[in-house]
Amino acid sequence: MRALVPVKSVAVLERDFTLAGATAVAPEALEWQLNEWDAFSLEAGLRLVEQAGGGEVAVVSVGDEHAEEGLRACLAKGADRALRVWDPALQDADALAVAWVLAALAVKESPDVILCGAQSSDAAAAATGIALAGLLALAHVAVVSAIEYDGAQLTVRRELDGGATEVLRLSTPALLTVQTGANEPRHANLRAIKRAREQPLRMLGLAELELHPDAVGASAGSRTLRVLERERGDGPTMLGEEPAEIAARIAEIVAERMSA
Amino acid sequence: MARDPRHDVLFEPVPIGPKTLRNRFYQSPHCTSFGAELPGAQAHIRGMKAEGGWAAVNTEFCSVHPSSDSRPLVSARLWDDDDARNLAAMADLAHEHGALAGIEFWHGGCVAGNLESRLPARSVSQMSDDSLYATSCYELDKAGIREIQGYYVAAARRARDVGFDIINLEGAECGAITQHFLMSKYNRRGDEYGGSLENRARFWLETIEQVREAVGEDCAITARLCVDTLNDSPLGIRAAEEAYRFIELGDHLVDFWDLQAGGWVAAEWAGDDAVASRFAGEFSHREYIEAVRGATAKPIAAVGRFTNPDTMVAAIRSGVIDIIAAARPSIADPFLPEKIEQGRYEDIRECIGCNICASRFAQGAPIVCTQNATLGEEFRRGWHPERFAKAANHEKTVLVVGAGPAGMECAMVLGKRGMSAVHLLDEQDALGGCVRAISAYPNLGEWGRVTTYRQVQLDKLANVEVILATELDAEAILIYGAEIVVIATGARWRADGMNGPTQATIPGAEHDFVYTPEQVSAAGGAIDGEHVLVYDTDGYFTAVGVAEMLLAAGKRVSIVTPFPNLSPFMFLTGEAFRVNRELRVRGVEIVPNHLLSRIAGEQLLGQNVWAPPGSDPVVWHADAVVLVTQREPRDALYHELRADPQRLEREGIESVYRIGDCLAPRTIAENIFDGHRLAREIDTADPATPLPYIRELPDVNRARPVAAAGA
Repeated sequence: MRALVPVKSVAVLERDFTLAGATAVAPEALEWQLNEWDAFSLEAGLRLVEQAGGGEVAVVSVGDEHAEEGLRACLAKGADRALRVWDPALQDADALAVAWVLAALAVKESPDVILCGAQSSDAAAAATGIALAGLLALAHVAVVSAIEYDGAQLTVRRELDGGATEVLRLSTPALLTVQTGANEPRHANLRAIKRAREQPLRMLGLAELELHPDAVGASAGSRTLRVLERERGDGPTMLGEEPAEIAARIAEIVAERMSA
Repeated sequence: MARDPRHDVLFEPVPIGPKTLRNRFYQSPHCTSFGAELPGAQAHIRGMKAEGGWAAVNTEFCSVHPSSDSRPLVSARLWDDDDARNLAAMADLAHEHGALAGIEFWHGGCVAGNLESRLPARSVSQMSDDSLYATSCYELDKAGIREIQGYYVAAARRARDVGFDIINLEGAECGAITQHFLMSKYNRRGDEYGGSLENRARFWLETIEQVREAVGEDCAITARLCVDTLNDSPLGIRAAEEAYRFIELGDHLVDFWDLQAGGWVAAEWAGDDAVASRFAGEFSHREYIEAVRGATAKPIAAVGRFTNPDTMVAAIRSGVIDIIAAARPSIADPFLPEKIEQGRYEDIRECIGCNICASRFAQGAPIVCTQNATLGEEFRRGWHPERFAKAANHEKTVLVVGAGPAGMECAMVLGKRGMSAVHLLDEQDALGGCVRAISAYPNLGEWGRVTTYRQVQLDKLANVEVILATELDAEAILIYGAEIVVIATGARWRADGMNGPTQATIPGAEHDFVYTPEQVSAAGGAIDGEHVLVYDTDGYFTAVGVAEMLLAAGKRVSIVTPFPNLSPFMFLTGEAFRVNRELRVRGVEIVPNHLLSRIAGEQLLGQNVWAPPGSDPVVWHADAVVLVTQREPRDALYHELRADPQRLEREGIESVYRIGDCLAPRTIAENIFDGHRLAREIDTADPATPLPYIRELPDVNRARPVAAAGA
């Protein structure tokens, strides 16, 4: 079983931040960490390999040096190798552009299964995995909450609205996007974290994937024009001091709105 | 981030006579047991609050003369120039941080035990006090009254001369001569100082007037008035009556009022001046303060264990008070005002209302706080609650096993000291350790703040990882990769009845109807059987928590204890009076002065502690028994790791420590201190051994006669 797990280091915003230019947040307010969903897709990959009794989990990230933080977290948890794809042309890459790069890599890697997080916590587009499946014309299921593997086929579950569960079976190669809670991600002990710091990361440029930088823009579906700070309102209106007074005022407001 | 504009009102200055409070935050007088004899500790505990943004910091009650000493309880003293010089350090430090310094003058009258001076106490009337044994006092004549008033004036001049800004003449908590004159309960005089309220108020008002004449141009003058004694006695003080009238009579003499309700005297609702969280939340005495609001246009300061800025704003906006007075919230978080000012609401370390602070005063011991391990350590250990030096060995990695109070605090402080990586691990699926069960006892929900504060802080520390629902054995710890290992695995209750009073186990404890407190908690009180006997030799909150949990589950509860009262420790925290009363009202049978000797099937055999040897046993019947006898450390992991030093070395583990209950089961306050202490000293030559703290010693060369006391 060879699993490819694309992961992303996401920027977590501190409470106080400023904007740097039209499309970015000042870097000192950003803290980088592995996307929450990717901990579950990685765990799914590690378990599939363990169940299959052999194989490997390769993690890949399309990103600048901040991506290394997430990749090393994956190595510490047990990923066998890590790849980072980067080119300055990818600076503003959206989900479709990233999928386009990943597709080129996946063709070279030819894994049995590709496991993506259902979404990233920063962009929240939930598009990369599905776009990748589309580009590769792979069987795929999005937002899976459980995965089983019998040695030949994958059986996956999805939670649907209204408490219904959908069970699907698919043959490999296939692509799944994994929901949080699908498993219990393992944690890395300090020894593994330290060891991961020493492990080599394989760096790939666009040329090694036989992609042309000029084509990145063409592959993108969107680009960021401007980042704006949300205008602050006047804050909440305090309705009163005493519970009875507050309750009476709420009742008035409800009555007003209901009759309007 | 700036504060929320709706909290702006808290930062408005408040003029008080010749002085101005820079904002509305006023650290009301509270005990520390530092007094004037530990001037460094006194200066720095108050100075820290001044640094944290309080507009005024006060001493504890301060005896104005040797004719009133409170031994073994520690008051401040302003008996002579040496005392003044010592207390000046506090005023200086307050000023350095832009705060006003206040001093609370006290003469105890009949409650002054005078165990140091051996002077007979002088009082409004001849009487026996209800908190002292086999002693009494004599009634002051008019010359004696003048003399005592003179002590106040002399003390005021001394205080003014060394820089105090606020002179507070207290008559609160039924513990001062001013209030004794005011209350017909104590005042049985037939002269112009007794009888009508105007007469009973005369002593106090004259004293304020004399102090005002002496120092009123330089100092703000206030009086700490108990507006309601919270009892039904016609001899007590009622807010709408005596207190209202007193404020009207004295309003021209003060610059603001410092008001409180309740006291520490057993006949009143004792302890209710500083209500524990098991009884009430914020501003629970509001109605009593509101009842006197109409009597004055001067600013009113009142306490209410305020920790929530929204509650504070509501209290100000409602017009009931003008100044947020706080003792316990300032103890738990000296930087409360600054954190509100800066909009750092999530950093507020909220008081849990356990009153362990008060328990220390009640034992004559230095003040401590459950939430704030640095409290009282500002001077002698040099600890700052908000500042943490980068550890000299910060490149090390640390594994903390156990996320109870000690483990959480240790990991948090190690994180703040910049250790390269700290892993905090617990077998349970949430933080808190023993606090999870304790805060699930009825009425102890606020104790959960021990966990929530630390959870928020840990979450903000990028170098700390919290790993839950994970159990590690010694082998897994050995190969974990941490250079420093801290074992904080807590304690468990003994199931065999091993206990302090007999130093023996209880035969029959192995029956399946005998439970530990943990088992009761796990069942939410719904254990088998209708009638449960709780046996308590622990003496603090656990037996009460277990009993209340059982009551909530519909059980009939009896509590047997060798102590003369249920939960004697709660007399120190001010909870015992109401707990003993309320559990009886709720039908709990309390059997004091009895040992549980043997569980013989359905027969529970006991012994009165005073019964002569060979007496027939007392027999009780119950469906279930809960043993609240003693805890033992869960330290097997620690000993297993330490057993093989070569292996530790091979795995790169430089040190293994144990902290908290895992070392010695104690209070949450001591556990948190223990975890904090280790983290503060993780880079010393021998972190397991605490660095020596600084002792403040009296100087034999400064011996001098005490101020003279006439009759």
